[in-house]
Amino acid sequence: MKRTKRKDLKKKGSGFAKLSLFQKPGIKFFKACPLSGKEAPVVDYKNLKILKKYLSESGRILPSRITSVCLKKQKELARAVKRARLLALL
Amino acid sequence: MNSYEHTFITRYDLQESQTKKVLEKYEEIIKKNSGKILKIEEWGLRPLSHEIQKNKKGFYFHFKFEGAGKTVEELEKAENIDQMVIRFLTIKVKKLDLETNYFEKKEY
Repeated sequence: MKRTKRKDLKKKGSGFAKLSLFQKPGIKFFKACPLSGKEAPVVDYKNLKILKKYLSESGRILPSRITSVCLKKQKELARAVKRARLLALL
Repeated sequence: MNSYEHTFITRYDLQESQTKKVLEKYEEIIKKNSGKILKIEEWGLRPLSHEIQKNKKGFYFHFKFEGAGKTVEELEKAENIDQMVIRFLTIKVKKLDLETNYFEKKEY
């Protein structure tokens, strides 16, 4: 059996951290970032399919606490959305 | 040498021959100012998400090229004066992606 190192656990966030005493064991609280990792979609101002996923109905950028995008990718996303808006694509 | 992506939008009430002329004009400006065009994409006539200078649609053109800072300077200088062009955007990229085309040409 392969054991994960402590370092890795810390980096990814195990997702099993307890928020309350009555929390059921084995339920995850944190999702992994959908835009980072291997085979993640490219964040680009031309890639409208991806950008539209992270916008609200009125066209505003959704906060990362809802979409669970990591900080680095959220910044990239915001820049891409603003570029697309300039070109009247979104 | 840096790699750049450049997109510009022209007015929608132009003839096909006119849009070609505009495209050729900017191609030449890039080539003259020590630039090298690697790919040209025509996204065709697309509806704009909001009005720009009373235009509701526009022809999109996309360049991927290598050049110096002066190339971009000259290109944007010419586009600022041009009345056919309503909007443009230049972006410096580390690596050009020449394969994927997110927009296929469509007629509306």
